[in-house]
Amino acid sequence: MNILLLLILVPIVAGVLVLLSRKTIPHTRESATMLIALVNLIAVIALFGQDLPYSHSWGPFKAFSLDLRYYSFSSFILIAAAGFTLLVTIYSWRFMQDRAHRSQYYGYMLLSLGFTNGAVLADNLILLLFFWEGLLGTLFGMIAIGRPGAWKTAMKAFIIVGVTDLCLMLGIILTGTMAHTFKMSEISLPVQGLGITAMLLMCVGATAKAGAMPFHSWIPDAAVDAPLPFMAFMPASLEKLLGIYLLTRITLNLYKLSPDSWVSPALMTFGCITILAAVMMALVQKDFKRLLSYHAVSQVGYMILGVGTALPIGIIGGVFHMVNHAMYKSCLFLTAGSVEKQTGTTDLAKLGGIGRLMPITFTCFIIAAMAISGVPPLNGFWSKEFVYDAALSHHVIFYLAAVLGSFFTAASFLKLGHAAFLGKRDPANDNVKEAPVSMLAPMILIAAGCILFGLWNALPLNHLVGPSTGLAAEAQEHAGFHLPSLLLATLTCVALLGALANHIIGARANGGGLHAADHIQYAPVLGSIYKKAQTDGADPYNFATRVAGYFCTAGWACDKAVDWVYDGFTVWLTRTLSFAVRASHTGSYALYVLWALVGAAAVVIYLTRIMP
Amino acid sequence: MDQQHILLCAAVFVPIIGSFLLPFLGRISLGTRNAAAFLLIAIAFICTALLAPSVFSGQTSGHTVTFDIGTAAFPLTLKADGLAVFVGLVSSFVSALIVLYSWGYVSHYRHQNEYYLEVVLFLGAMMGLVYSANLLLLYIFWEITAFASWRLIGFFREKDYIVRADKAFLVTGFGAFSMLLGFIILYTQSGSFEMSAVTKYFADPAVPAPNFAIALILLGILSKSATLPFHTWLPDAGVAPSPVTALLHAAVLVKIGVYAYARLFIVMLPLAGAWLDVVLVTAAASALVSAGAALIDTNMKRIIAYSTVSQIAFIFLGLASGSAIGITGAILYILMHGLAKAGLFLSAGIIEQNTHTKDITKMGGLIRTMPITAVAFLLCAFSVMGIPPFGGFFSKFLVIQGAVDAGRPWIAGVFVFGAVLTLLYLWRIFTTIFFGDAQAPATEGSRLMVVVVALLAVLGLVGGILVAYPSDWANAAVRQIPGLGN
Repeated sequence: MNILLLLILVPIVAGVLVLLSRKTIPHTRESATMLIALVNLIAVIALFGQDLPYSHSWGPFKAFSLDLRYYSFSSFILIAAAGFTLLVTIYSWRFMQDRAHRSQYYGYMLLSLGFTNGAVLADNLILLLFFWEGLLGTLFGMIAIGRPGAWKTAMKAFIIVGVTDLCLMLGIILTGTMAHTFKMSEISLPVQGLGITAMLLMCVGATAKAGAMPFHSWIPDAAVDAPLPFMAFMPASLEKLLGIYLLTRITLNLYKLSPDSWVSPALMTFGCITILAAVMMALVQKDFKRLLSYHAVSQVGYMILGVGTALPIGIIGGVFHMVNHAMYKSCLFLTAGSVEKQTGTTDLAKLGGIGRLMPITFTCFIIAAMAISGVPPLNGFWSKEFVYDAALSHHVIFYLAAVLGSFFTAASFLKLGHAAFLGKRDPANDNVKEAPVSMLAPMILIAAGCILFGLWNALPLNHLVGPSTGLAAEAQEHAGFHLPSLLLATLTCVALLGALANHIIGARANGGGLHAADHIQYAPVLGSIYKKAQTDGADPYNFATRVAGYFCTAGWACDKAVDWVYDGFTVWLTRTLSFAVRASHTGSYALYVLWALVGAAAVVIYLTRIMP
Repeated sequence: MDQQHILLCAAVFVPIIGSFLLPFLGRISLGTRNAAAFLLIAIAFICTALLAPSVFSGQTSGHTVTFDIGTAAFPLTLKADGLAVFVGLVSSFVSALIVLYSWGYVSHYRHQNEYYLEVVLFLGAMMGLVYSANLLLLYIFWEITAFASWRLIGFFREKDYIVRADKAFLVTGFGAFSMLLGFIILYTQSGSFEMSAVTKYFADPAVPAPNFAIALILLGILSKSATLPFHTWLPDAGVAPSPVTALLHAAVLVKIGVYAYARLFIVMLPLAGAWLDVVLVTAAASALVSAGAALIDTNMKRIIAYSTVSQIAFIFLGLASGSAIGITGAILYILMHGLAKAGLFLSAGIIEQNTHTKDITKMGGLIRTMPITAVAFLLCAFSVMGIPPFGGFFSKFLVIQGAVDAGRPWIAGVFVFGAVLTLLYLWRIFTTIFFGDAQAPATEGSRLMVVVVALLAVLGLVGGILVAYPSDWANAAVRQIPGLGN
């Protein structure tokens, strides 16, 4: 059997087996999952550097062809996905060991891996959609097993992602019909006419998978409800990889997006709004996991901004940022998991001062937090600089929005680190211990990766990002410590220092790290916006369901009106007519004879006058 | 008569004639009667399945089996082509499963003899309808199904239920009469009720088919397939026993209208131009209005019935798109929707029998006590929503692709919105019934019933993974249609 097919089928079959497994010998499910994840990682690394196409017919339609392709871009995403899966499974071993539904958890994890491999390997848009939408089921399952009542969030996630997947479906159908093929490597369409609609619909699907606004609102809820490793697994890594992968394929291969087209600034605006709105929400969160989840939304904005510029450096920056984000964000979620596991809470008001008790977790947190804030020379710094440079080439306003986002990112991580690990310790946490080794190891590895990709950025840029995007020359130009612009880097550092100053002043004035951003939250105009943003009405999902509700009421009324025609009007009409006829039957023979005569006369006239 | 003709006649007349023996068998032994009912339908299925290889093997329209049961002066032709065999297979297969489920479901009720008689008669008439290549024959079988469904909807004999059965009968009967009128108009022009003769007569572009007749026939089709504005009898018919609603609403009855559309307006008299727009707009309105109603209603079976109305519109979308892809998708949709929707109705039957209510606001938390039904319900719902790897994904994809392929992307957009509403109402019904606080304590249904429901759910999954086979057959069926062959 073809190795590419095996990459898809083995995790799926194993996932189904794990899902169906009943009482087993302890750790079988865990070790089986780890083994599959490891084998998967080894396989995708072993294949690295090759270009393997595979094609097999699937049903009677040319469009339904089983086209797979392993090449530079897909291998990059596959390796990243495989790596995160393995690390999260190792982490989950201890984290999940006392929890219920482990068969489901590991089963869904393997299924997700198989579907992700399928979606990335697919060289056919329908096949891509098949695996892409298939992830909906595992998404629902993994959230729903989090805790009793989590099904509400699971359903919300399913509906939001499901609706955008339907947009993607329509986009794919339009694209395939216009291109007369669904084979991705053969499609190259201009951005015009119906193509714009198709491209935007596909972009909706891609960015929503990555978690951009306004399709984000299930992520903060899932952070609270779902099992924590899920957050590091899906929203932080796999879904970002998939979403940005597809977005890049759309703008780079499927459609020829030029920086001069209006679609490019539209995407960039979309990215900037996501950056700012989500980071502002992150700033005021009082829960470790919810705060991180808003950043998972906010950072997508940088990737969309970068890819949306349609400039080489922007695309390189966006894709580089995608892998960087998957690293530091999953690391951050894993530190949150350690804290939750060891202290039993992620409420920042109950945490504080545990940095000394959990030094390794704290160190990993610091490295990842610095990376996400874009502190030089960590990996996040480089990718953000590329994005800034590309944004500035379009318009200064995009650049300012991006830098402002960085300022708030840094501010919120200063607040988070201060509130969780420094400051006064709650006496209840005095006996907290460092997390077990199997949970620390994945965090340390990823944190080390953040440093490696920062100090030796030539490694990802020259070997992964450059070849994937087909921009190897541009990537090489900026690899190493070759900043696009020294001025911008200086400005970044100023913004970061500003965030630090803001934090110190805020913490002094408001008493403690947790309240360090209060002066922003309760600022004159912002205060009322925040108040509104934190109500249910501000959730786009609630707004959309309300609109759908109105629509349905209209449909219902329409249905009832139609039904009235049958149950009311027809009955009334029949009764009225029959009563009228009955009333005319008075029993008078004279009247009946008259009717008969009139009728006979009519027949005679018809036969003699009209018929001939 | 060669072997193929025997198979063709057996598929139709064995269940029709056999059904009248069932009440007598019921006097002797209940078990024998139940087994015989299943066997009669199984025979229809097997005969159809035996016809399949030769019919699907053909690349051209020549590979059909025809048999005339009339006289030379007044022919009444039965004909098995790809389309007929496909729909016949789906109908008899789902009906057989429904009969198995009925063994458990109706065992507590009166009038069982009549129940099995009507169900088998219904299926027999359905097979006859599917194989009819003559308009009059089609009409006769059409009315037999109407009669059987009228008795079955009013199975519980309560006054309100009988009124609703009458409503279903009157609405579809009204449609059937106008359709007959349309057939007669075609007859007066072409001089024959044989479909092939009608096709030949109107094939000349100088002889346009009378629009009035087309409108009348369309009226009959839309009323049978419960499409807006003739759809309200279908939710009302939810008072019938659940296996019956599964049979009527999901697998067979509503598909008659769709099948007749394909048979009459794609094969016999291909519609074009403004008529396609009329059908597409009607279908779009039907999809949206009924989906809206499904999101508001609180009666479990009515919600699923509204969902059927909305899904039937998707089948019409594929058929009326006029493109080969769309029509193939629509035929595949008949299969996938039949399996999934039958599963939903039969799950609803288990729930209703064990909670003694149909009001979803009085249910909740049933996933804890009815886990298998819950999972089966969810899997069937996934298939109706069109989530891969379930079969519904492919059929939904193909009908929408068909609309785009036919140059109607905006209609496709409306239907994508319809698909969004499908997601919403199915999640609403699933979560209200199975999650949340338990209100009415209930246990899992009888083993046989649960097995049937689980089987339907698994078939939806298998149909998606092995979609190559059914889509091959659907494709073969479309290839045999003149003008669409490739």
